[in-house]
Amino acid sequence: MAETKLAKIPVASLEGAAQEKEAGETNNIEKATGQWTLVWRRLRRHKLAMGGMAVILVIVLLSWLAPWIAPYAYAEQDLKLRHAAWFTPGQASKPMHILGTDGLGRDTLTRILYAGRISLGVALIVTLLTVLIGTMVGAVAGAFGGGLDTVLMRFTDIMLSMPDLPLLLILSSSLRQFTTLQNFLGSNISVIIIIFVLVIFGWMGNARLVRGSVLSLRSQEFVEASRALGASQSRIIFKHLVPNSLAPIIVSATLGFGAVIIAESALSFLGFGIMPPVPTWGNMLNEARGAPQIGYTLFTQTLAPGLCIFLTVLSINFIGDGLRDALDPRLKL
Amino acid sequence: MTDYIIRRLIQSFIILVFISALIYTILNLVPGGPFDTLRQANPRITQSQIDRLNALLDLDKPLFPGKYCPTIGNKGEPCRFDWGRYLRWLGKVARGDFGRSWTVQTGVPVIRIITYRLGYTILLMLTVQVFALLIAIPVGIYSAVHQYSKTDYAVTGLAFFGQSMPTFWTGLLAMSLLAVALNLFPSGGVRSTGMPGDIVETISNIVTFGTTHPEVAGHEGEIILDGLWHMALPCLVLIYFNLAGWIRFTRSAMLEVLHQDYMRTAHAKGLTRRLVILKHGLRNALIPLITLLALTIPLLFGGAIITETIFSWPGMGRQLIDSITGVDWPVVQGILVITSVLVVFSNMLSDILYAVIDPRIKYS
Repeated sequence: MAETKLAKIPVASLEGAAQEKEAGETNNIEKATGQWTLVWRRLRRHKLAMGGMAVILVIVLLSWLAPWIAPYAYAEQDLKLRHAAWFTPGQASKPMHILGTDGLGRDTLTRILYAGRISLGVALIVTLLTVLIGTMVGAVAGAFGGGLDTVLMRFTDIMLSMPDLPLLLILSSSLRQFTTLQNFLGSNISVIIIIFVLVIFGWMGNARLVRGSVLSLRSQEFVEASRALGASQSRIIFKHLVPNSLAPIIVSATLGFGAVIIAESALSFLGFGIMPPVPTWGNMLNEARGAPQIGYTLFTQTLAPGLCIFLTVLSINFIGDGLRDALDPRLKL
Repeated sequence: MTDYIIRRLIQSFIILVFISALIYTILNLVPGGPFDTLRQANPRITQSQIDRLNALLDLDKPLFPGKYCPTIGNKGEPCRFDWGRYLRWLGKVARGDFGRSWTVQTGVPVIRIITYRLGYTILLMLTVQVFALLIAIPVGIYSAVHQYSKTDYAVTGLAFFGQSMPTFWTGLLAMSLLAVALNLFPSGGVRSTGMPGDIVETISNIVTFGTTHPEVAGHEGEIILDGLWHMALPCLVLIYFNLAGWIRFTRSAMLEVLHQDYMRTAHAKGLTRRLVILKHGLRNALIPLITLLALTIPLLFGGAIITETIFSWPGMGRQLIDSITGVDWPVVQGILVITSVLVVFSNMLSDILYAVIDPRIKYS
């Protein structure tokens, strides 16, 4: 009973605080439950989100442990065993190729595990950076308003109207040709370039979201109160406006993570992203196009890497959906 | 309203100038040029010859207005002011001249390449969007009306699946299963060998009452059927992908409407459930749908880069990939500028439509 009452509280509004006080008086234990405990409690009831979380955990763990559990090195070739079927014993008492090998005799399972490391890592870095940049731009534009807001938002509009996929292709294929960059970044060049271009074309949605949220918060009483108490503009932005915009940021970052995985895979699939021998699920699918269409290559080389992308993105989308419900103070669950 | 439209037009125009400048700058800062392949094919070509060829294409001039010092030919000539390549190019584009292809189809006007490819992309994307909407709208409505039923769960689940399956994966799977293993469909291209013409040429000939090629005459039906057969797989892949988004959108738009007070009023005055949903519900749910529809216009012209590549469908997306790998910047610039114009104006159209359809919205 008390729990449903608490769940209705609009987070961080003055009336909400008053209600919380009332609820607290009736039940002292419930008063201690913070916002995040509540969110977690609601999320736990979202079966699909919990399922998604379990799957993501397994995928993250397997990818993270790749160097220790993978039977081979990701670039190790065995030209005598090309396009081998599943459960082919390795040459010269080496471990079994559980998912067979690709066109250069590299162990598919090993490559899938390492690819997860790359794909998830790239997606994580890109998501963090886009959220950071988007939040900064949006918060500054929303909080200061005026000319700065106009300039920042027009720039965001321009970036949003740019044809992003073609420009991603052009940038990632052309940045690679700069010799200074090649010397500076070494063999990881394609990974760093892909992160860079995905961040450049990824922050705008977040900026708009945060700006909208900041604009609606800016005129609320608690912000006025802290301004009256003499808080500086940066304190208001980082202590009040940004933390209160956190809910939509978290949801969009979660869904954005899935979108980045798809974007990176798409670029790598088209041959404009991360270059072999470094494996990603996308460039493995690209290599699968050249595989002979024997029954098992369909499963080991086309189905398996794609299934990894699909499961990851699906789980992320479920988690994002669950978070959206859990973080919405208007919804009772 | 007129004021609003005029202001939006001016804004769009400024945004487009910025976008085109950005695209032009990015492309022209890329190392490598149209004569790289020439240099590779003929190692005896000298740098001064390459320079002279570049000068022919105006590539020795500065990008933006500034000082230009001739380095080829009349070396003695003094430095002079030059308007820059960007402004010259923009001026030509404004007059509808996108220049000529450098490498992929050397010398062919960009506009001719684009109009040729446009037919294939529009045919594919229009079919996809029409089918996706024809399926998604009824399914979305049914799912919303029967919220939390088994069908609703199945539909939303399927929509989640569709959105999480990238087209390059479903495309490859469809190709391996339906084209290669079961041999039901061709694995790519637009026509079978031996067909005297292809579907797009034939349809555009019929529509424009053009003169029919003697080999084609009498075989039109056959050619169109063959084209549709080739179109089936890319269509299937794209419909499945687009379906997911449209279903979720229709469902949530409908759900939003179903809980409105006027729906209860309509029920209360004794209308049948069917009439309430279709007449009062659907008409209001369609408002956001129509504005979203305006936003898909650029997709109809821009094509689907990935799916077109997988199934070797000769549309705009495929052309774009080929031009990027071939460093064919005039073609890339042409395609990108046209898609940006469409994106900006469809955004504007969508906002205006919103105000026109929904009397509650007022722009000032």
